[in-house]
Formats: sequence, C-alpha cells, structure tokens
Amino acid sequence: MQILRIEVCDFRNLGLVQEAPHARFTVISGENGQGKTNLLEAVYYSLCLRPLRPTHGAELVRSGSGRASIQLLLSRGAVTETIEVSVTASGRELRLNGKAAVDLDRWFSGTAVVAFTPEDLSLVRGGPERRRRFLDRAVFTRWPLFLAESRDYHRLLRSRNRILAEGGPASVRESFEGPLARAGARVVTRRRAWLTEVAKPLAGAFDQIARIPHGLTTLYRGPPEGDEGRVEDWLRGELSRRAESDQERGFTSVGPHIDDLRFSFGNLDAHRFASQGQARALVLALKIAEIENLKEQLGFSPLLLLDDVSSELDPDRNRQLLDYLGSLSGQVLLTTTDPEPLLVRLGGRSALWRVTAGSVVAE
Amino acid sequence: MIPGAPEPLQRLVAELGKLPGVGERSALRLAFHILRAKDGYAGTLADAIRGAVERVRLCSVCCALTEADPCALCADPRRDASLVCVVEGVADMLAVERTREFRGRYHVLHGALSPLDGVGPEQLRVKELLARIGAPDAPREVILATNPDIEGEATALYLTRLLRPAGVRVTRIAQGIPMGGDLEYADQATLIRALSSRRDA
Repeated sequence: MQILRIEVCDFRNLGLVQEAPHARFTVISGENGQGKTNLLEAVYYSLCLRPLRPTHGAELVRSGSGRASIQLLLSRGAVTETIEVSVTASGRELRLNGKAAVDLDRWFSGTAVVAFTPEDLSLVRGGPERRRRFLDRAVFTRWPLFLAESRDYHRLLRSRNRILAEGGPASVRESFEGPLARAGARVVTRRRAWLTEVAKPLAGAFDQIARIPHGLTTLYRGPPEGDEGRVEDWLRGELSRRAESDQERGFTSVGPHIDDLRFSFGNLDAHRFASQGQARALVLALKIAEIENLKEQLGFSPLLLLDDVSSELDPDRNRQLLDYLGSLSGQVLLTTTDPEPLLVRLGGRSALWRVTAGSVVAE
Repeated sequence: MIPGAPEPLQRLVAELGKLPGVGERSALRLAFHILRAKDGYAGTLADAIRGAVERVRLCSVCCALTEADPCALCADPRRDASLVCVVEGVADMLAVERTREFRGRYHVLHGALSPLDGVGPEQLRVKELLARIGAPDAPREVILATNPDIEGEATALYLTRLLRPAGVRVTRIAQGIPMGGDLEYADQATLIRALSSRRDA
C-alpha cells in the first residue's frame, strides 16, 4: 500500500494540510510542539481507527473548530481509493470512496501500518502493560479482526469486574465468565500465533543488530500452552476458582489483561539485566521482525511511521535502522528535529516537509 | 432554546427533542409541521399519545405490549403453548412474527443482562418467565432468541442455567451466514462463528 495524498483539516493542532508524500521516505521536520507527531497520528488514526499514543481524552479536534477530518488517497493492491475520517463532538464518521462506510473488514483490507515511537523504547524495561499494548498493536496489524475480538474481551472483562464490585449474584457472574473465557482464549491464541510467526525473524534480527549471539528467548507468560479450546477451559476454571478472591479485590486477576511477554538472554532475565543498548537493540529487532513477518504474510511492505526515533538511538543503531529501512521497498514517514543527517543518507529517495505551528510546507 | 420563539412553541420543541434520534433541528421541524397541519391533526396526535400511554400495558403472561390482558397472542388457542420464544424486545418479537412460521408463543424480557448499564435479572422479566415454566400449561421447549452480542449471549447462558433444572428443553437460535447472503460479503466474525458451529451435511 502507498499513500498518494494526505489531506488533514483541524486535526489536533494541524490547520489545513494538503501534501503528497514521497513513495519512499518523507522526512517531517520541525521543532518540538509544532505538530510533527500529530501528522503521523492523523495518518495512523485514519488507517487504523485508533490513536497512535494512549491519549486519555485528548482533543482530536483543533480548538476553535467543530470538525476534524483526515483524507488519504491510497493505492492498495491494484486499486486507488479514498478513505476519509471526520470527527465531531457527536462522534466519528467514516467514508470510503465518498460513501459512508461501516464495513471495517473492507476498511482495513490491504492495509498494514507499523509505528515506532519513543514510547516503544521502554518496552523491555517498562511495565507489562507496555508489552501487552505493543503485542496487541502488532496482532491487530496482522489480523485486523483482532480489534473486535479484543474489544469484546475488554467489554466482558469490565462486565465481570462490575459484577464483582457490586457484589452481583454468582449466577449472573457465571453467565459472563463463559464468554469471557472464550474471548480471552481468542486473545491469548492470537498473541501466541503472532509470536510463533515472528520467532525466527526476531532471533535473526536481534543477533544481527547486537552483533553477538545472545540466545534470545521469548516467553508468553499466561495460561498453559495449548489449543484455543484448552486455554478457554483453563481460563473458565481459573475464573471460577478465583471468584471469591477476585470479589474481595474487586477485579479479575487472571486473563490476557494480566499476561506478560518476557524476554531473556540465555538464563538472564532481559527485563532486569539488559543494558540500555541491548534493550534498544531488542526493540529494534522486534520492529524489524514485525515488518518482515508482514511482508511475508501479506505480500507487501507495511507503511512505516517513525516518530522521532533517531534522536533516541545511538549513531550505530541509527545507521543499522536506516540501512534496514533503505533495504525495504515500502513507504516511510518519519519525524525529526534534525533532518540533515537523514537527508544525506536517504539521498534522492526522500521528500522534506517542514512543520511550523500546525502548518506543513513541502520543500 | 430558540430565541424569540413563543413560550408554548419552545415547550413543544423541548419535549419533541427528548425523543430518541430527534435533535433540536428535527424537533423544530416537527413542531412547525404540527402547528401548520390542518383538520385538527394536533388534537388527534395528542389523543393518540394519551390513548397509547393509558391503554397499552404489558401482557401479564408474555410481557409484550397489549391493550387486552392477556394479549391476543397468548389468548389465541391456535398458538402452541408448549413452545415459547424468548426475545429481548417487542421489536424482536415482531420480527419473528413477520416470518409467520413460528406458531408458538413469546416471552419479552425487555432488555438483556448488562452489568455496565446496571441491568440485572431484576430489571428484566425473568420472574414472569419462571412463573410460566412452573404453571400448569408449562411449555416443553424454550427457544432463546436474544441477540448474538455480548449481553444477549450472557443472558442466554443465564436463562439456560436457570431453566434447565426446571426440566424444560432449552434451545438457542442458530447463528451464521444470512440466507440469500453471499459468503464473500459476510463479515469475518460471522464467518468464523459459522465455521465453528458447522454441522454434518
């Protein structure tokens, strides 16, 4: 897939933006707080229908305006299509080729976006919710249907938690536990399926970046291994066994919302013992493995959105990242406060945009 | 609030605007229509609203909306009392009824279990359903036709566990690809469900 044209109006701090990104690299430069990340976010939000960063009620619509809109002209497979998302106080409206769209399968088909933000760099040493968020985002990119599956799981989870908090009858709680176990098993199985797919590219990419073999192993810490039915049975059993203690705590203590993704080098727990350099190499390797897997499974290079990642990496890793990106065939949008070194490396395969106070100028 | 409009008109617009799906602009349009209409339309409308509110109530058997109690369906001797179809709302009942295939009776729950909306069994017409199972002309089979969403599924499970011990056969409506539909256009969740609940041909 490729973005042929971006039109943004009143999204976050952005005014009117109408630009055609480069087929390969578009370097979005500007000082901090000018709207570089908002531009990436506009692209991510319109394609994936979820925010790039956890926002917690941050305003999508520019202050003083009643309506934000993002329109992308896309080349997907053999067709050229327009997607348009508009946001007002009363909600979100989707249009595909000018017609009101409700079919999300269709919206996401032929689309894959991998984002890389500074937040990702704390994946290894940060808390488990970071890793779950990373994992779920990657699983969603691979299987867009996961959006609905994960939403179902969380609605069921909130339902059970509400019953626990209000001391609702066991018969009602149990009626939600069956579906909760089923939805949870689906989430766990999807996550494990993704980890299985990326295991090989991950190990390869990591050893290449770190230059010395570390014996990287990845472990999904959650229900016992098994097919989806076994996981469902196990979760149902645990939910029922923990009913009383969960009631005391007022929340559900087992399930994919508690699970974690653990990395180790040989016998060493990477979360405790990885150096800053190793941790960043691992994150880089995870992103590369995700991209490689998408290329293999979907048959095309995903769109890459890199938010000010260069400034967070040392020169050596930066070079490795840029070499890798250069070897891909897909489209890349990246933000930076310091565009010159990037432009030198990328040469004629790039366009430069400057963002100042919410407006974008292509040079 | 419409500045400059007479107070009775403001009141009418405010009341109409409380209806679901009616914004202020639609409310204003409806209000103008009512004011301009001929032949005592406003009086007829007011009577119709008052009549409906005063005379329509819940059937003491199936909890559907009715004027006479029990409702025409529950009183009809040609309907099979041994078969009861449980639905979330009156609209669902009307949808099943439009098929003219179903010859049994209904039970309207008036909602589905939804902890997030504060709806528990007490807010639904569950007690009335249980009473029917215990009555002399109890149904032999209860068909659970609640919606195939999270709350509808949980409600179906809840009722299954409640009714089975009473010795009644409990069934759940099938889910999958719509008739006359095209596999190509079925959404993925439906396809997955249809595949997992496949049966021998």
